[in-house]
Amino acid sequence: MFVLSFVPSLASADDPDSVAWAEQRVQKEIVRPLAEQVSKRFSRARPAPRERRVRITDPTPSHDAKGRDFVPFAVDVRFGGAEWKRDDVVGCVYRASGAVFIRREGAYYPASLLLGKGVAAVSGVCEPSPPARS
Amino acid sequence: MADETYSAMQRQLRIWLRIAFLAGMVSGSLLISAMSVAYFDFDSLPPFVIEKLPLRFQTLWLASLRVHVLAAAISFPLCLASLTRAVQRRVALHRVLGRIAGIVVLFGLLPSGAVLSLDAKGGPFVSAGFLFSGSIVAYALFHGVRAARRHLLVAHARAMRHVVAQMSVAVSSRALIVGFDSAGIDPEVAYMIALWVPVLASALLAELLSPSSGLRASCVVLIERIRREMSSFALVVRVRALVRPVPRLGR
Repeated sequence: MFVLSFVPSLASADDPDSVAWAEQRVQKEIVRPLAEQVSKRFSRARPAPRERRVRITDPTPSHDAKGRDFVPFAVDVRFGGAEWKRDDVVGCVYRASGAVFIRREGAYYPASLLLGKGVAAVSGVCEPSPPARS
Repeated sequence: MADETYSAMQRQLRIWLRIAFLAGMVSGSLLISAMSVAYFDFDSLPPFVIEKLPLRFQTLWLASLRVHVLAAAISFPLCLASLTRAVQRRVALHRVLGRIAGIVVLFGLLPSGAVLSLDAKGGPFVSAGFLFSGSIVAYALFHGVRAARRHLLVAHARAMRHVVAQMSVAVSSRALIVGFDSAGIDPEVAYMIALWVPVLASALLAELLSPSSGLRASCVVLIERIRREMSSFALVVRVRALVRPVPRLGR
Protein backbone atom coordinates (compact mmCIF):
# COMPACT_ATOMS: atom_id res chain seq x y z
CA MET A 1 0.00 0.00 0.00
CA PHE A 2 2.86 2.32 0.90
CA VAL A 3 4.48 1.66 -2.51
CA LEU A 4 1.18 2.21 -4.31
CA SER A 5 0.69 5.53 -2.56
CA PHE A 6 3.73 6.88 -4.40
CA VAL A 7 2.50 6.01 -7.89
CA PRO A 8 2.44 9.37 -9.67
CA SER A 9 -0.94 11.03 -10.06
CA LEU A 10 -2.03 13.43 -12.80
CA ALA A 11 -0.98 16.48 -10.81
CA SER A 12 2.61 17.46 -11.45
CA ALA A 13 5.05 19.25 -9.20
CA ASP A 14 4.99 22.16 -11.60
CA ASP A 15 1.24 22.65 -11.22
CA PRO A 16 0.81 26.45 -10.85
CA ASP A 17 -2.08 26.03 -8.46
CA SER A 18 -0.46 23.43 -6.23
CA VAL A 19 -1.97 24.87 -3.05
CA ALA A 20 -5.49 24.49 -4.41
CA TRP A 21 -4.59 21.01 -5.65
CA ALA A 22 -3.25 19.98 -2.22
CA GLU A 23 -6.40 21.35 -0.59
CA GLN A 24 -8.51 19.31 -2.98
CA ARG A 25 -6.53 16.15 -2.15
CA VAL A 26 -7.14 16.69 1.58
CA GLN A 27 -10.81 17.44 0.92
CA LYS A 28 -11.12 14.21 -1.07
CA GLU A 29 -9.08 11.96 1.22
CA ILE A 30 -10.12 13.29 4.62
CA VAL A 31 -12.80 15.96 4.82
CA ARG A 32 -15.45 14.48 2.51
CA PRO A 33 -15.21 10.87 3.74
CA LEU A 34 -15.38 12.05 7.36
CA ALA A 35 -18.39 14.26 6.60
CA GLU A 36 -20.12 11.29 4.97
CA GLN A 37 -19.67 9.12 8.05
CA VAL A 38 -22.84 8.81 10.05
CA SER A 39 -22.25 10.38 13.44
CA LYS A 40 -23.54 8.36 16.37
CA ARG A 41 -25.36 10.61 18.75
CA PHE A 42 -25.61 8.41 21.86
CA SER A 43 -21.95 7.54 22.13
CA ARG A 44 -18.82 8.59 23.99
CA ALA A 45 -17.19 9.31 20.64
CA ARG A 46 -16.50 12.97 19.95
CA PRO A 47 -19.52 14.54 18.25
CA ALA A 48 -18.99 15.27 14.56
CA PRO A 49 -17.84 18.86 13.96
CA ARG A 50 -20.31 21.22 12.29
CA GLU A 51 -17.59 22.36 9.86
CA ARG A 52 -14.09 21.45 8.74
CA ARG A 53 -11.65 23.62 6.81
CA VAL A 54 -8.33 22.81 5.21
CA ARG A 55 -5.30 25.06 5.58
CA ILE A 56 -2.07 24.61 3.70
CA THR A 57 0.33 25.64 6.44
CA ASP A 58 3.31 26.19 4.14
CA PRO A 59 2.70 26.61 0.41
CA THR A 60 6.38 26.18 -0.35
CA PRO A 61 7.01 22.46 -0.87
CA SER A 62 9.47 20.70 1.42
CA HIS A 63 11.55 17.66 0.48
CA ASP A 64 11.82 14.49 2.54
CA ALA A 65 14.96 12.40 2.93
CA LYS A 66 14.29 10.72 -0.42
CA GLY A 67 13.89 14.08 -2.15
CA ARG A 68 10.14 13.85 -2.67
CA ASP A 69 8.14 17.08 -2.48
CA PHE A 70 5.35 17.45 0.03
CA VAL A 71 3.10 20.22 1.31
CA PRO A 72 2.07 20.32 4.98
CA PHE A 73 -1.58 20.93 5.83
CA ALA A 74 -3.89 21.25 8.81
CA VAL A 75 -7.60 20.63 9.18
CA ASP A 76 -9.44 22.94 11.57
CA VAL A 77 -12.84 22.07 13.00
CA ARG A 78 -15.73 24.05 14.38
CA PHE A 79 -18.32 22.64 16.74
CA GLY A 80 -21.39 24.53 17.96
CA GLY A 81 -19.47 27.61 19.07
CA ALA A 82 -18.14 30.34 16.84
CA GLU A 83 -14.46 29.54 17.40
CA TRP A 84 -12.42 27.28 15.15
CA LYS A 85 -10.30 24.63 16.83
CA ARG A 86 -7.05 24.71 14.90
CA ASP A 87 -4.90 21.74 13.90
CA ASP A 88 -7.44 19.05 14.63
CA VAL A 89 -5.67 16.98 11.99
CA VAL A 90 -2.19 17.75 10.68
CA GLY A 91 -0.26 16.01 7.96
CA CYS A 92 1.14 16.39 4.49
CA VAL A 93 0.30 15.78 0.84
CA TYR A 94 2.89 14.42 -1.57
CA ARG A 95 2.90 16.42 -4.75
CA ALA A 96 3.91 13.67 -7.14
CA SER A 97 1.68 10.89 -5.90
CA GLY A 98 -1.07 12.79 -4.12
CA ALA A 99 -0.62 10.52 -1.08
CA VAL A 100 -1.97 12.06 2.12
CA PHE A 101 -0.49 11.30 5.53
CA ILE A 102 -1.60 12.42 8.97
CA ARG A 103 0.33 12.80 12.20
CA ARG A 104 -0.67 10.97 15.36
CA GLU A 105 1.46 10.79 18.51
CA GLY A 106 4.58 11.89 16.64
CA ALA A 107 4.27 9.30 13.84
CA TYR A 108 2.78 9.58 10.34
CA TYR A 109 0.04 7.29 9.06
CA PRO A 110 -1.81 7.06 5.74
CA ALA A 111 -4.96 9.22 5.91
CA SER A 112 -7.12 6.09 5.73
CA LEU A 113 -6.40 5.64 9.46
CA LEU A 114 -9.05 8.31 10.08
CA LEU A 115 -11.58 6.15 8.25
CA GLY A 116 -10.97 3.14 10.44
CA LYS A 117 -8.51 1.22 8.32
CA GLY A 118 -5.85 -0.69 10.22
CA VAL A 119 -2.69 0.87 8.79
CA ALA A 120 0.82 1.02 10.16
CA ALA A 121 2.93 4.12 10.72
CA VAL A 122 5.15 5.07 7.79
CA SER A 123 8.62 6.25 8.64
CA GLY A 124 10.45 9.01 6.83
CA VAL A 125 7.40 10.74 5.37
CA CYS A 126 6.39 14.37 5.90
CA GLU A 127 9.72 15.11 7.56
CA PRO A 128 11.81 17.71 5.75
CA SER A 129 15.36 16.60 5.14
CA PRO A 130 18.01 18.80 6.73
CA PRO A 131 19.59 21.27 4.28
CA ALA A 132 22.71 19.93 2.61
CA ARG A 133 26.01 21.25 3.94
CA SER A 134 28.17 23.21 1.55
CA MET B 1 -55.01 15.13 57.30
CA ALA B 2 -52.53 17.44 55.59
CA ASP B 3 -49.68 15.14 56.62
CA GLU B 4 -51.50 12.12 55.13
CA THR B 5 -52.04 13.93 51.83
CA TYR B 6 -48.42 15.01 51.82
CA SER B 7 -47.25 11.41 52.44
CA ALA B 8 -49.56 10.04 49.73
CA MET B 9 -48.27 12.61 47.26
CA GLN B 10 -44.71 11.75 48.20
CA ARG B 11 -45.38 8.03 47.67
CA GLN B 12 -46.99 8.69 44.29
CA LEU B 13 -44.12 10.90 43.22
CA ARG B 14 -41.62 8.22 44.22
CA ILE B 15 -43.48 5.61 42.16
CA TRP B 16 -43.51 7.85 39.09
CA LEU B 17 -39.86 8.78 39.51
CA ARG B 18 -38.96 5.10 39.86
CA ILE B 19 -40.89 4.21 36.68
CA ALA B 20 -39.34 7.13 34.79
CA PHE B 21 -35.84 6.13 35.95
CA LEU B 22 -36.30 2.48 34.97
CA ALA B 23 -37.84 3.35 31.59
CA GLY B 24 -35.07 5.87 30.83
CA MET B 25 -32.32 3.46 31.82
CA VAL B 26 -33.76 0.51 29.89
CA SER B 27 -34.10 2.67 26.76
CA GLY B 28 -30.61 4.08 27.26
CA SER B 29 -29.11 0.64 27.79
CA LEU B 30 -30.77 -0.71 24.63
CA LEU B 31 -29.61 2.31 22.65
CA ILE B 32 -26.01 1.94 23.87
CA SER B 33 -26.04 -1.77 23.06
CA ALA B 34 -27.38 -1.06 19.56
CA MET B 35 -24.71 1.61 19.00
CA SER B 36 -22.00 -0.74 20.24
CA VAL B 37 -22.65 -3.47 17.67
CA ALA B 38 -20.06 -1.73 15.44
CA TYR B 39 -17.34 -2.63 17.96
CA PHE B 40 -17.74 -6.28 16.95
CA ASP B 41 -17.01 -5.59 13.27
CA PHE B 42 -13.46 -6.91 13.14
CA ASP B 43 -12.70 -5.43 9.68
CA SER B 44 -13.02 -1.74 10.48
CA LEU B 45 -12.69 0.50 13.49
CA PRO B 46 -15.50 2.73 14.77
CA PRO B 47 -14.90 6.50 15.31
CA PHE B 48 -14.64 6.13 19.09
CA VAL B 49 -11.65 3.84 18.60
CA ILE B 50 -10.12 5.80 15.70
CA GLU B 51 -9.85 9.00 17.73
CA LYS B 52 -7.69 7.13 20.27
CA LEU B 53 -5.28 5.61 17.76
CA PRO B 54 -2.46 4.78 18.03
CA LEU B 55 -2.91 2.92 21.34
CA ARG B 56 -0.04 1.47 23.32
CA PHE B 57 -1.67 -1.95 23.68
CA GLN B 58 -4.24 -1.87 20.90
CA THR B 59 -5.17 -5.57 20.99
CA LEU B 60 -5.68 -5.55 24.75
CA TRP B 61 -7.62 -2.28 24.57
CA LEU B 62 -9.92 -3.49 21.81
CA ALA B 63 -10.52 -6.80 23.60
CA SER B 64 -11.31 -4.87 26.80
CA LEU B 65 -13.72 -2.62 24.91
CA ARG B 66 -15.62 -5.62 23.55
CA VAL B 67 -15.72 -7.36 26.94
CA HIS B 68 -16.87 -4.12 28.58
CA VAL B 69 -19.66 -3.52 26.07
CA LEU B 70 -20.88 -7.11 26.31
CA ALA B 71 -20.68 -7.18 30.11
CA ALA B 72 -22.61 -3.89 30.37
CA ALA B 73 -25.26 -5.07 27.91
CA ILE B 74 -25.87 -8.14 30.10
CA SER B 75 -25.41 -6.80 33.62
CA PHE B 76 -27.15 -3.42 33.47
CA PRO B 77 -30.58 -4.73 32.38
CA LEU B 78 -30.26 -7.53 34.95
CA CYS B 79 -29.52 -4.98 37.68
CA LEU B 80 -32.47 -2.86 36.58
CA ALA B 81 -34.75 -5.90 36.57
CA SER B 82 -33.56 -6.75 40.09
CA LEU B 83 -34.62 -3.29 41.24
CA THR B 84 -38.26 -3.88 40.29
CA ARG B 85 -40.76 -4.90 42.93
CA ALA B 86 -41.97 -7.76 40.68
CA VAL B 87 -38.54 -9.43 40.77
CA GLN B 88 -37.85 -8.55 44.38
CA ARG B 89 -41.06 -10.37 45.39
CA ARG B 90 -39.72 -13.53 43.70
CA VAL B 91 -36.75 -14.10 45.97
CA ALA B 92 -35.25 -17.04 44.05
CA LEU B 93 -35.36 -15.14 40.76
CA HIS B 94 -33.92 -12.01 42.40
CA ARG B 95 -31.08 -14.11 43.79
CA VAL B 96 -30.29 -15.77 40.43
CA LEU B 97 -30.38 -12.49 38.49
CA GLY B 98 -28.27 -10.81 41.17
CA ARG B 99 -25.66 -13.56 41.08
CA ILE B 100 -25.36 -13.48 37.29
CA ALA B 101 -25.12 -9.68 37.27
CA GLY B 102 -22.60 -9.71 40.14
CA ILE B 103 -20.32 -12.21 38.41
CA VAL B 104 -20.49 -10.36 35.08
CA VAL B 105 -19.75 -7.02 36.78
CA LEU B 106 -16.94 -8.36 38.94
CA PHE B 107 -15.13 -10.43 36.32
CA GLY B 108 -16.09 -8.61 33.10
CA LEU B 109 -17.23 -5.03 33.52
CA LEU B 110 -14.83 -3.83 36.22
CA PRO B 111 -11.51 -5.25 34.96
CA SER B 112 -12.21 -4.24 31.35
CA GLY B 113 -13.35 -0.79 32.48
CA ALA B 114 -10.12 -0.33 34.44
CA VAL B 115 -8.06 -1.15 31.32
CA LEU B 116 -10.13 1.25 29.18
CA SER B 117 -9.92 4.04 31.74
CA LEU B 118 -6.12 4.15 31.50
CA ASP B 119 -6.38 5.38 27.90
CA ALA B 120 -9.45 7.56 28.42
CA LYS B 121 -9.56 10.69 26.30
CA GLY B 122 -9.30 13.83 28.36
CA GLY B 123 -6.25 12.69 30.32
CA PRO B 124 -5.69 11.72 33.94
CA PHE B 125 -8.67 13.70 35.29
CA VAL B 126 -11.09 11.68 33.15
CA SER B 127 -9.23 8.43 33.89
CA ALA B 128 -9.62 9.23 37.59
CA GLY B 129 -13.38 9.73 37.08
CA PHE B 130 -13.81 6.31 35.49
CA LEU B 131 -11.63 4.64 38.13
CA PHE B 132 -13.53 6.41 40.93
CA SER B 133 -16.86 5.22 39.52
CA GLY B 134 -15.49 1.67 39.16
CA SER B 135 -14.19 1.74 42.73
CA ILE B 136 -17.63 2.70 44.04
CA VAL B 137 -19.15 -0.22 42.09
CA ALA B 138 -16.53 -2.68 43.39
CA TYR B 139 -16.83 -1.49 47.00
CA ALA B 140 -20.64 -1.40 46.93
CA LEU B 141 -20.84 -4.79 45.22
CA PHE B 142 -18.59 -6.37 47.85
CA HIS B 143 -20.62 -4.88 50.73
CA GLY B 144 -23.94 -5.63 49.00
CA VAL B 145 -23.10 -9.31 48.56
CA ARG B 146 -21.81 -9.57 52.13
CA ALA B 147 -24.98 -7.92 53.45
CA ALA B 148 -27.19 -10.26 51.39
CA ARG B 149 -25.37 -13.29 52.76
CA ARG B 150 -26.00 -12.01 56.30
CA HIS B 151 -29.65 -11.25 55.44
CA LEU B 152 -29.12 -7.54 56.11
CA LEU B 153 -31.58 -6.46 53.43
CA VAL B 154 -31.54 -2.71 54.10
CA ALA B 155 -27.75 -2.61 53.85
CA HIS B 156 -27.91 -4.82 50.73
CA ALA B 157 -30.41 -2.48 49.07
CA ARG B 158 -28.30 0.56 49.92
CA ALA B 159 -25.15 -0.98 48.44
CA MET B 160 -26.93 -2.18 45.31
CA ARG B 161 -28.44 1.28 44.77
CA HIS B 162 -24.89 2.57 44.55
CA VAL B 163 -23.97 -0.14 42.01
CA VAL B 164 -26.95 0.68 39.78
CA ALA B 165 -26.44 4.42 40.25
CA GLN B 166 -22.86 4.20 38.95
CA MET B 167 -23.93 1.93 36.09
CA SER B 168 -26.57 4.50 35.17
CA VAL B 169 -23.73 6.98 34.53
CA ALA B 170 -23.27 5.26 31.15
CA VAL B 171 -26.69 6.55 30.12
CA SER B 172 -26.80 9.91 31.90
CA SER B 173 -23.30 10.79 30.76
CA ARG B 174 -24.13 10.13 27.09
CA ALA B 175 -27.36 12.10 27.43
CA LEU B 176 -25.35 15.04 28.79
CA ILE B 177 -22.84 14.76 25.93
CA VAL B 178 -25.72 15.01 23.43
CA GLY B 179 -27.13 18.00 25.31
CA PHE B 180 -23.79 19.78 25.49
CA ASP B 181 -23.21 19.14 21.78
CA SER B 182 -26.58 20.71 20.97
CA ALA B 183 -25.63 23.69 23.15
CA GLY B 184 -22.37 24.08 21.23
CA ILE B 185 -20.07 23.43 24.19
CA ASP B 186 -16.50 22.37 23.43
CA PRO B 187 -16.51 18.53 23.25
CA GLU B 188 -13.43 18.13 25.46
CA VAL B 189 -14.90 20.22 28.28
CA ALA B 190 -18.29 18.58 27.76
CA TYR B 191 -16.77 15.11 28.01
CA MET B 192 -15.14 15.91 31.34
CA ILE B 193 -18.26 17.49 32.87
CA ALA B 194 -20.49 14.77 31.44
CA LEU B 195 -18.45 12.19 33.31
CA TRP B 196 -17.80 13.75 36.71
CA VAL B 197 -21.22 15.35 37.29
CA PRO B 198 -23.21 12.11 36.80
CA VAL B 199 -20.68 10.08 38.85
CA LEU B 200 -20.94 12.43 41.84
CA ALA B 201 -24.67 13.12 41.44
CA SER B 202 -25.45 9.40 41.20
CA ALA B 203 -23.47 8.64 44.36
CA LEU B 204 -25.27 11.46 46.19
CA LEU B 205 -28.70 10.41 44.95
CA ALA B 206 -28.14 6.76 45.83
CA GLU B 207 -27.19 7.83 49.33
CA LEU B 208 -30.19 10.14 49.68
CA LEU B 209 -32.55 7.39 48.53
CA SER B 210 -31.27 4.89 51.07
CA PRO B 211 -33.38 4.80 54.25
CA SER B 212 -30.38 3.70 56.35
CA SER B 213 -28.18 6.56 55.16
CA GLY B 214 -27.06 9.15 57.70
CA LEU B 215 -27.01 11.80 54.99
CA ARG B 216 -30.62 11.07 54.13
CA ALA B 217 -31.64 11.17 57.82
CA SER B 218 -30.17 14.63 58.28
CA CYS B 219 -31.75 15.83 55.01
CA VAL B 220 -35.16 14.48 56.04
CA VAL B 221 -34.91 16.19 59.44
CA LEU B 222 -33.97 19.48 57.76
CA ILE B 223 -36.82 19.28 55.20
CA GLU B 224 -39.35 18.37 57.90
CA ARG B 225 -38.22 21.29 60.03
CA ILE B 226 -38.54 23.70 57.09
CA ARG B 227 -41.97 22.27 56.22
CA ARG B 228 -43.25 22.59 59.77
CA GLU B 229 -41.95 26.11 60.20
CA MET B 230 -43.21 27.31 56.84
CA SER B 231 -46.94 26.65 56.36
CA SER B 232 -48.28 26.38 52.80
CA PHE B 233 -50.30 29.57 53.37
CA ALA B 234 -47.16 31.47 54.33
CA LEU B 235 -45.43 30.10 51.26
CA VAL B 236 -48.25 31.32 48.97
CA VAL B 237 -48.09 34.77 50.56
CA ARG B 238 -44.33 34.89 50.05
CA VAL B 239 -44.55 33.76 46.43
CA ARG B 240 -47.25 36.36 45.72
CA ALA B 241 -45.14 39.02 47.38
CA LEU B 242 -42.30 38.11 45.05
CA VAL B 243 -44.39 37.80 41.89
CA ARG B 244 -46.70 40.79 42.31
CA PRO B 245 -44.12 43.55 41.92
CA VAL B 246 -43.05 42.15 38.53
CA PRO B 247 -46.22 43.01 36.52
CA ARG B 248 -46.35 46.39 38.26
CA LEU B 249 -43.04 47.32 36.69
CA GLY B 250 -44.73 47.16 33.28
CA ARG B 251 -47.37 49.76 34.13
